[in-house]
Amino acid sequence: MSEEKKMFLEALRRKFKESPEEKQTKFYIYDGWKQSKRKREFVEAAQKIAKERTVPFYNPDLHLGGIPLGQRVLMPYRLSGTDIYCEGDDLHFINNAAMQQMWHDIRRTVIVGLDAAHTVLQKRLGKEVTPETVNHYLEVLNHALPGAAVVQEHMVETHPGLVSDSYVKVFTGDDELADEIDDRFLIDINKEFPAEHAAQLKAAIGKRIYQVCRMPTLVAMTCDGGTMSRWAAMQISMSMINAYKLMAGEAAVGEFAFAAKHAEVIEMGTLMPWRRARGPNEPGGIPLGYMADICQASRVKPDDPVWVALESISMAAVLYDQFWFGSYMSGGVGFTQYATCTYTDNILDDFCYYGAEYVKKKYGGFAKAKPSWDVINDVATEVTLYGLEQYERYPALMETHFGGSQRAAVVAAGAGVSVSLVTGHSTAGINGWYLSQLLHKEEMGRLGFYGYDCQDQCGSANSFSWRSDEGLPFNLRGVNYPNYALNVGHQSAYCGIVSAAHGGRGDAWTTNPLIKVAFADKDLKFDFTHPRLCFGKGALREFMPAGERDLIIPSH
Amino acid sequence: MVDYKPQYYPGGSKIAANRRKYIDPKYTLRKLRTISDDDLVRLMGHRVPGEAYKSVHPPLEELGEPACPIRELVEPTPGAKAGDRIRYIQFTDSVYFAPLTPYMRAWMGHMRYRGVDIGVLSGRVPLEARERDLEKVAKDLVETEIFDPARVGIRGATVHGHALRLDENGLMFDALRRFQYDKNKGEVVYVKDQVGVPLDRPIYVGKPIPEEELRRITSQFRVDGEPFRNDAELIQFVQRIHMLRTEAGFDPNKVKDI
Repeated sequence: MSEEKKMFLEALRRKFKESPEEKQTKFYIYDGWKQSKRKREFVEAAQKIAKERTVPFYNPDLHLGGIPLGQRVLMPYRLSGTDIYCEGDDLHFINNAAMQQMWHDIRRTVIVGLDAAHTVLQKRLGKEVTPETVNHYLEVLNHALPGAAVVQEHMVETHPGLVSDSYVKVFTGDDELADEIDDRFLIDINKEFPAEHAAQLKAAIGKRIYQVCRMPTLVAMTCDGGTMSRWAAMQISMSMINAYKLMAGEAAVGEFAFAAKHAEVIEMGTLMPWRRARGPNEPGGIPLGYMADICQASRVKPDDPVWVALESISMAAVLYDQFWFGSYMSGGVGFTQYATCTYTDNILDDFCYYGAEYVKKKYGGFAKAKPSWDVINDVATEVTLYGLEQYERYPALMETHFGGSQRAAVVAAGAGVSVSLVTGHSTAGINGWYLSQLLHKEEMGRLGFYGYDCQDQCGSANSFSWRSDEGLPFNLRGVNYPNYALNVGHQSAYCGIVSAAHGGRGDAWTTNPLIKVAFADKDLKFDFTHPRLCFGKGALREFMPAGERDLIIPSH
Repeated sequence: MVDYKPQYYPGGSKIAANRRKYIDPKYTLRKLRTISDDDLVRLMGHRVPGEAYKSVHPPLEELGEPACPIRELVEPTPGAKAGDRIRYIQFTDSVYFAPLTPYMRAWMGHMRYRGVDIGVLSGRVPLEARERDLEKVAKDLVETEIFDPARVGIRGATVHGHALRLDENGLMFDALRRFQYDKNKGEVVYVKDQVGVPLDRPIYVGKPIPEEELRRITSQFRVDGEPFRNDAELIQFVQRIHMLRTEAGFDPNKVKDI
């Protein structure tokens, strides 16, 4: 990629006063934390709170026994693919409402098939099921799902103003049936997806009909992931009783509950084993391929699988690295600094587009080469060397990714995404990632931290293994896969490797067409078509989330 | 038993040759400076010079060890014999042509010294050993060509700096400012020990190694030095290792002709 086209240069020029090529600078002259507007704000707020609560609070002068943060430039970050700059603090999920909402929107989603219930109604109870009865049922469920009564007398209910983001919609691959569904309830595949993708999705879904239930964000915030399908199942069963005039408690009602809780339910995340014990719908149980499908960027630019992969990478970085590893698994605040490397300053973008251009020129386009050692070695090596050389040509770039794990993640992500693009095969892509890590270690003589290096040096050996005790098809792996359970900084790129393989092939989805369609929903609070832009809005404090409690707290 | 001749490191480049040299224990590291035993003890900060070594168990002779074939095979180090505490020295090596990289520092240490536990991260390499053994090893690590006063740091904590640009004097960034450049003497001087506790008097560790010399002795590939891309033998070696690991992980029976 020619000098003027390097995508990261503009951000580097904004982050540092000196030219990105300059090898020397001045340190220790920036007045510590006071150089940061955000940290000044933190200090002002903390001093006020400390006075009110009388317990000491945030005080950055306690850092390192009196040597505060900011002995070097506390650099700003550009949200990749956007013109938004923010401070690093704005990308911690506690400080970013868009990041919180992305997670809540995923967690509070449950997909439940309607066909089993309809079969019970028709064959067991002799009830008629028509588009009209389905529309009526959906109206009842939109009343009940947020927390309202539909059958019993003298019930307490939730304030609609607190649960306004809770609703149910449906989708089907059957155009005729879709035409009969009230538009207010329908996720219309034909309208939401490019024609080619819509055709693929409808063929995969067929005549079946699925509900997409969104539980209230407040429930997602106050209960656990396992609550979601239970909440949905209870309200679905009660709405069935109401809509189809059933006896409350007859044996057939148990079938609705069974279908909604087990037989027809698709959780976003699976249960975790005891050593990482969590219920369903927690970040640790969400497969990489589901994350790639939850991202909706492919609806916007189906012909730019690199951009699509980068958008999905940003979501995976926030959910897997910042939420899951950074808080659920480790505690502390350090992981944000690390995880942002894949979605800031257009650095990974540059490496991936370099790889895309390389494979287009050499192999004639995406998904044009069968996976082979020649192709994996060629593409992964070239993109790895390119990435490492950029760090060495531009000291400002090296300083931006000042931790080896950041560089290892970004370089290998570029290599893995590029191998996925050229082969259309995510297993080849992940193998390219591991080759990149080994090359990186020998080139620089260093890689990441202990845990990082451990998993990447044994990763080649499990990349092709599909035996159940050792591996999975790559799309179905996630942070719950044994070798990835401590693998911070990797999963974001892994999601991109899945995305790029299928994007390169022109696929409408990567792993599950139902997940893809369920998030093609303009009424979600988080914009899954432009996650990086949305995170940027969160950083600028321009994102309005759900789950606010103003209605039930004193005015403030 | 078949004669075994260690190969140490593959590659046809000057950098690969330097790597082989440092790992090979038969190569004597060039001594460039002298740091007194007491100053080294102060820099590490584990004990006061002259203070007796603290012990975590009685000397092995007094302890009485169980019958064990491994114990018979392995001669304990002096520190282990005496029952010393395990303490550490930790280094940060700049990406700008420092003599060693973290992996080199570990491989070199494992080949040259007994009784050491070395960790590798991108920005620091801790070496732990029994205290009197550590002091002996540390002497080598600080007095010889593998230590550049400007681009190698002795840092127990807050190691941040290996990937940052250099300061106006060519020194690696150090948030704790443990070391400074004395312009009058042209030397680097430590004013704090490795965890940042101020020293009662400064310790001079010598002049920075000139850039040209660093480029000659470094074990780091760099595109503005000797590029990795040019060492085809090393790249092919890594690719082959990766292929063998991958195929063996898939099915060990499929791997032939190793």
